[in-house]
Amino acid sequence: MNFWQYITTNYTEILALLLEHIKLTAISVGLAVLIGVPLGIFISYMSKASKIVLSIANVIQAIPSMALLGFMIPFLGIGAIPAVTAVVLYSLLPIIKNTYTGLESINPQTLEAAKGIGLTRFQILTKVQIPLALPVIMTGVRVASVTAVGLMTMAAFIGAGGLGNLVFSGIRTVNNNQILAGAIPACLLALFVDFLLGMVEKLVTPISLQKGNSARKKKKRLIQKITLGVTAVAIIVIFVITSIGGSAAGARTITIGSKDYTDQLVLGNLVSEMIEDRTDIQVNRKMNLGGTQVCFNALQSGDIDMYVEYSGTAYSDILQHPPINDVDEVYNTVKTEFKEKYNIEVLSQMQCNNTYILAVKPETAEKYGLKNISDFAKVASSFKSGTTFEFTNRESGLIGLEQAYNFKMGENIPLDGAPRYTALMNDEVDVIDAFATDGLLKKFELSVLEDDKGFFTPYYAMPIMSEEALEAFPEIAPILEELGNVLTNDVMSDLNYRVDVLQQSPEQVAKDFLAESGLKQS
Amino acid sequence: MLRFEHVAKSYKTKQILRDINLTIPKGQFVAIIGESGCGKTTLLKMINRLIKPTSGAIYINGKNIQNINEVALRRKIGYVIQQTGLFPHMTVRQNIEIIPKLEKYKPAELEENTKKLMNMVGLDCDEFLDRYPTELSGGQQQRVGVARAFATNPDIILMDEPFSALDPMTRTDLQDELVQLQSKLKKTIVFVTHDMSEAIKVADLICIMRNGNVLQYDTPENILKNPADDYVENFVGKNRIWSSPEYIKVEDIMIERPVTATKEMSILKCMDKMRQYKVDSLLIIEPDSRHLLGIVKANQLRNIEDKTQPIRSYISADFAALSPEQTILDAIKLVTKENHSTIPVVDSNFCLVGLITKSSLVTTLSQQYFDYTEEAQE
Repeated sequence: MNFWQYITTNYTEILALLLEHIKLTAISVGLAVLIGVPLGIFISYMSKASKIVLSIANVIQAIPSMALLGFMIPFLGIGAIPAVTAVVLYSLLPIIKNTYTGLESINPQTLEAAKGIGLTRFQILTKVQIPLALPVIMTGVRVASVTAVGLMTMAAFIGAGGLGNLVFSGIRTVNNNQILAGAIPACLLALFVDFLLGMVEKLVTPISLQKGNSARKKKKRLIQKITLGVTAVAIIVIFVITSIGGSAAGARTITIGSKDYTDQLVLGNLVSEMIEDRTDIQVNRKMNLGGTQVCFNALQSGDIDMYVEYSGTAYSDILQHPPINDVDEVYNTVKTEFKEKYNIEVLSQMQCNNTYILAVKPETAEKYGLKNISDFAKVASSFKSGTTFEFTNRESGLIGLEQAYNFKMGENIPLDGAPRYTALMNDEVDVIDAFATDGLLKKFELSVLEDDKGFFTPYYAMPIMSEEALEAFPEIAPILEELGNVLTNDVMSDLNYRVDVLQQSPEQVAKDFLAESGLKQS
Repeated sequence: MLRFEHVAKSYKTKQILRDINLTIPKGQFVAIIGESGCGKTTLLKMINRLIKPTSGAIYINGKNIQNINEVALRRKIGYVIQQTGLFPHMTVRQNIEIIPKLEKYKPAELEENTKKLMNMVGLDCDEFLDRYPTELSGGQQQRVGVARAFATNPDIILMDEPFSALDPMTRTDLQDELVQLQSKLKKTIVFVTHDMSEAIKVADLICIMRNGNVLQYDTPENILKNPADDYVENFVGKNRIWSSPEYIKVEDIMIERPVTATKEMSILKCMDKMRQYKVDSLLIIEPDSRHLLGIVKANQLRNIEDKTQPIRSYISADFAALSPEQTILDAIKLVTKENHSTIPVVDSNFCLVGLITKSSLVTTLSQQYFDYTEEAQE
């Protein structure tokens, strides 16, 4: 499937995400202007406050966007609100700074003249200071807006939607077409925003302060005004249309989330399709929500009602127990403690155990005669590994593994999900961690090293949901048990393969599977 | 009328103004002059309350300005400053109309007022009203600045070195026009400058300041002639008077005791007297009233046979006279254009008070090139 085909088959989705992206960006920048400009004006009067405000804005700017987004989930949950909040925070600095600089750089004599001829403070502000500072303020808004378009793609990480959805799931599934389908419109949008606001910047610069012939400039201004008017109308139309479309909340709706990698997307969609097929419940899908922390926080805050977690993750990451490998003990501990501590119901485990494995290229396996991890431990010191952040930092991951098998990895580069496959295939690393059900294992025909000492914690998929949701929708539990019984590791590997390698959408794969396996009833 | 009473200003330990007492009469053009840092601009800005005095009070028509709303006060006082006084993002029209608009002038009134002001400062409405300040020359900008200051027809106008950034030609033009404007409008103008010739040219009264004190506050003429102290004299410039010859009066340069004779005196005696005083003419007067009868010249008497007869019949009535209030320029005109060499100075009753001769004029005029007092000391 080439890029152009991808675009033509998915253009409705891309367009919807683009509109969502525009809407979120516009709201964020709008709010940032409403907060930043008055703040900039305020600190121009209070020179003592200016340092404090500017340094706070600077610090916020310096926080990595992922960290800020992750940090906000406990307070603001997931979705548009924390995403907009984050982008507003990032956009404040250039707006405050430029407002302040714009006001400060006005010739003091002009201001004294304004005062001397009898303008009030407010009149000086509105008639002299703001008009003179406006070009500089607009530059700040322009910088903020272009950055905001880019930042908003990160917002997909916490389920705010927008073009970042395509980029993120594209990265997870090594689907370059999908990445491009998100990235290219985002780039074009950024360029367009830059162009438009550049025009605004020129428009608000007094003719007298621009260079060149003023008659021609006046004519050009008319064209610019028309362009901006049309754009403004278009943005309003987007708001109206999307707000009409967005208000379809039915009486019985459950919100289902998922993390942002293929196995999760497939599981999330399978669960959603199954519920919609068997019940009258409407499913609101919030797929692609960052990692475990994002999903679990979202479940606790009520932003989502359920998602599929893995027993090992719940046991050692969320509950912070030292890793063990007893399947039943893990499940039972999680079930009781989740209910006690978080009022979260854990449904039955599914058949698939998406535990960690190590994978190498077949050539490597052959060269060193690697069959299991014990074999690998002997040669590990000359290997370079590329592992996920989660795996790298876990007792139940690399750290524990090294102790259990008594080896020390030569060098380790922490990588994100799918890129580590790319790194392995490009020989940048020699060994990677993988999930047992990864479709990419099949795609790249990698050799899996067996966990011969049974070190890895079991990672059985298990739907977890809030107590209230289970009370409201008790019929879900048996339906999902039925689904879980069919989902073996082989099945999941196959489904993941369809997404990762055949580049089918997780929704489609879920639908097809229900039909093929006879689970589908209606 | 504008009055400063014990006005002082200090910033922390620095004393900018010390106990200023000053009265600016209504309709007078007052120039405040001094070196930079003397406090002249501070004094000016106190009038429209841009700067608050540390102590003392300023009264406009008997009313303490501290009790007037500052915005209302400023709108009743025109304000012109150097260069950047105009708002660069507004057209000439917007600059002029900003305060009238806020004062809710009706549109027709506004339009008429603006046209009137433009005419007043000699700018063409069609050509300039819709231009921006950056599209104007420095002189044109300052004309607009003046127009804006007059926009609400205030009684008081403050000007803070309005012409100092202009080229000399333009400056001279604007000064001339300002003087003309003032002679018609009779505003109370306070004009800060550091240029003495500008002050002398435009002002009715000059206030010379130094280190926050007023050294001398007087008419240009008195300041030129009678500088209060050495600093003023130096500041004004010793020979400054020569560039303002209209302030050099006949009475300042005349010979105060010219050699005289009565009409009864014999010719011989008259000739003796001329020889004795080394003059070539005598002024004939009535003995008690000093009423001037005429002039007798030495060369007229030389050929007369009977030198014992009284001089009476030889008095020439063909002479020009000056009054003490006339200026050196009048005297020079009589000497150069009409070739008079002896010009008596008479009061309104035609009584002799002094004399100007060609040679006394030369001596006077040469003072600007040689300092006789210093030579005498050597």
